Amino acid sequence: MNILVFVKRVPDTESKIRIHHETNTVIEEGLNFIISSNDEYAVEEALRLREAKGGQVTVISVGAEESTTILRKCLAMGADEAVLIKDDLKETYDGLRIAKMITRAVEKKFPHFDLLLFGKQSVGADNAQVPSMVAEMLGLPQANVVTKLEINGTQGTALREIEGAEEKVIFSLPAVVSAQKGLNEPRYETLKGIMAAKKKIIPVMTLEELGLRKEDVAPQVDITKMEMPPARQAGKIIPGPPEEAAKKLAELLRREAKVI
Amino acid sequence: MTITTLDPKICEEFIRIVGRENVIDDPERMDDYSHDEFSLRDISRMPALVLKPRSPFQVAAILEIADQEKIPVTPRGGATGLCGGCVPSPGGVVLSVENMNRVLEIDADNQMAVVEAGVTLNDFEKAVEEAGFYFPPHPGEESAMIGGMIATNAGGSRAVKYGVIRNYVRGLEVVTPRGDILSLGGKLIKSSTGYSLLHLMIGSEGTLAVITKAVIQILTKPSVTRSLVIPFDDLEAAIETVPLLLKKVVPLALEFVPLDVIQITEEHLQKKWPCGQGETHLLVILDAASEDEMDRLSQTVAEIALEKGALDVFIADTAKKQDNVLDIRSKIYEAIKHDTIEIMDICVPRAEIAAHVKKVRAVAQKYGLWLPTFGHAGDGNVHTHIMKARHEDGQVIPISEAEWREKFDKIREELYDDGMARGGVISGEHGIGLVKKKFLSRSLSPEQIELMKGIKRAFDPNGILNPGKIFD
Ligand SMILES: Cc1cc2nc3c(=O)[nH]c(=O)nc-3n(C[C@H](O)[C@H](O)[C@H](O)COP(=O)(O)OP(=O)(O)OC[C@H]3O[C@@H](n4cnc5c(N)ncnc54)[C@H](O)[C@@H]3O)c2cc1C
Repeated sequence: MNILVFVKRVPDTESKIRIHHETNTVIEEGLNFIISSNDEYAVEEALRLREAKGGQVTVISVGAEESTTILRKCLAMGADEAVLIKDDLKETYDGLRIAKMITRAVEKKFPHFDLLLFGKQSVGADNAQVPSMVAEMLGLPQANVVTKLEINGTQGTALREIEGAEEKVIFSLPAVVSAQKGLNEPRYETLKGIMAAKKKIIPVMTLEELGLRKEDVAPQVDITKMEMPPARQAGKIIPGPPEEAAKKLAELLRREAKVI
Repeated sequence: MTITTLDPKICEEFIRIVGRENVIDDPERMDDYSHDEFSLRDISRMPALVLKPRSPFQVAAILEIADQEKIPVTPRGGATGLCGGCVPSPGGVVLSVENMNRVLEIDADNQMAVVEAGVTLNDFEKAVEEAGFYFPPHPGEESAMIGGMIATNAGGSRAVKYGVIRNYVRGLEVVTPRGDILSLGGKLIKSSTGYSLLHLMIGSEGTLAVITKAVIQILTKPSVTRSLVIPFDDLEAAIETVPLLLKKVVPLALEFVPLDVIQITEEHLQKKWPCGQGETHLLVILDAASEDEMDRLSQTVAEIALEKGALDVFIADTAKKQDNVLDIRSKIYEAIKHDTIEIMDICVPRAEIAAHVKKVRAVAQKYGLWLPTFGHAGDGNVHTHIMKARHEDGQVIPISEAEWREKFDKIREELYDDGMARGGVISGEHGIGLVKKKFLSRSLSPEQIELMKGIKRAFDPNGILNPGKIFD
């Protein structure tokens, strides 16, 4: 199987995010950057499919030079090749723009594939747009938010999360699948893997090479304001003997929280 | 359990000192104060009363009365101790510092924190981290309190690089059994001013004075950390790697763990360890000032380990992966607690670990008992767990109480003898408390014990403060 996996470099959700209010951007200084966690599930799934069925896993990231770090990690995990599509703009929050680049790269440079794997959404932007847009533009079947994937010949079966239930989708390959937590447990890099990855060359593709002009990929999203989500309110402790506290709790749940 | 009652008049006085709301006398709730984390309830004892003072003055007032009336008082922190240190004496009261739980100051210029004795490790770490600092000592259970950690000279896995809590305590406020409030040390790096009463308090297990406040050194945070999990096919190769590593790199932590207990913990937590191969794993946690330095360090560790026959080196670098690995390591205890009789705490010179662990295996074989052994390979502190079970083909098979009771002391004796013969001590970080007191004379000479008793008498002539702990 020939699998393309798309990964994005994002701030570690465990780092403390600060906002630069004049420019409406996230301050990068002091942040750790990692592979977006959903993308890591996609990489792991690709590697497992290859281990089971043979073939080739190519990992692709759209981003600045720094994204080679996460590509190298994917190589260390076991990907066969990694490619950077160089985009000099910082986070634009414009899913369509990225989807156009990916679509063009797939058409021009990787026309022979069986599966395109994505994370269901990137950490940070959390738009959940790119996989579906790419599928539409390439005219491929898609299954997103997938927690289980099976491939049999040219047919795929995916379980996807929908509200309150699970949906089973059967589709033909080639196709687009986006991964969600639960799909698998990503492997840890190993030093042997890292050593092998060090020797590999990560080719860089420019937007010109893909035949994209500046105006083709001009961001269409304007950020007018960026704010931290409101801090979670501290929980309430209801003092007193259990019988009274329980009564009070029931009353608060009914009157204030309006959940019962 | 029987409850000895106090003279009602004295009770009234105690209640007047701390206030009714800070007293527990209802047997059901007092039961929580009758034990610590040592697993055999044989040593539990019901207190006559539990007092939760809010200030050193209240502590002093309690001790004055207790001293006069010869009522035993046992200081208590988070009760996470593993040797019965905070178990009350018959007819005695428990003095819990849980209400003295404020972080009073984080002094950034001096890099010192001032905290009350009842602050939990968890709350302390949070406060320190929020201020952008770092506090390395880390016993595995975060509900331990600063006072208890100081009273046991707690260590934890980061001792290889950063030492134990003794290296961080700069000042203490303590209350003696006579009711004197002493201020020892301060925000000082140095002091050659008389005997160090400060250091005498560290590791005194609540027998000399009640700790009410501490000045703790804090450090700047290392910028990058990374955890390496290194599987080996056999224990010896794993342990022999340790001294080789330490010649080149000083890791934050260097632990050894057998795969069988890891797998039980994976199951217990429903989490996944990086690798399921091999028999013994080393967990190496590194810290560094930059990514480049970290890469160099990891590389060095990996080369040495692979040279020694490591199967591979697995890397946890994101916060999430590191937390996952550390969580599994920390919760081994929780996963096997149910079948544990005692967690031993022998500390040997670290070059002796391999030989000592070999002895543990021989003893396990001889007595037909499961003795999972793991611990701080980097500092020689070996936690052998004596279990109420055998372990065969991955199965834990419980054995009868009569059988394990019969073997329990014999196993301890053999292992202590081996540890002592290698130049070790019977406790590296948990303390002596009640559980190890009968073995103390294996570790210390009669002259040393006599001197210690003299010190105890100088502080506590009436022997009211945590009597019967460490020695009789
Ligand atoms: C899962 C687990 C993992 C652990 N891992 C480690 C580890 O890695 N390293 C390690 O060192 N320990 C470890 N321990 C042991 C324990 O956590 C430490 O000994 C801890 O320092 C005890 O603190 P505490 O507040 O719970 O003390 P307690 O258990 O309440 O008391 C311990 C002793 O200190 C005395 N004491 C308590 N407070 C005061 C005070 N204010 N003034 C005077 N005396 C006082 C008590 O009288 C008693 O003798 C572990 C325990 C568990 C359960």
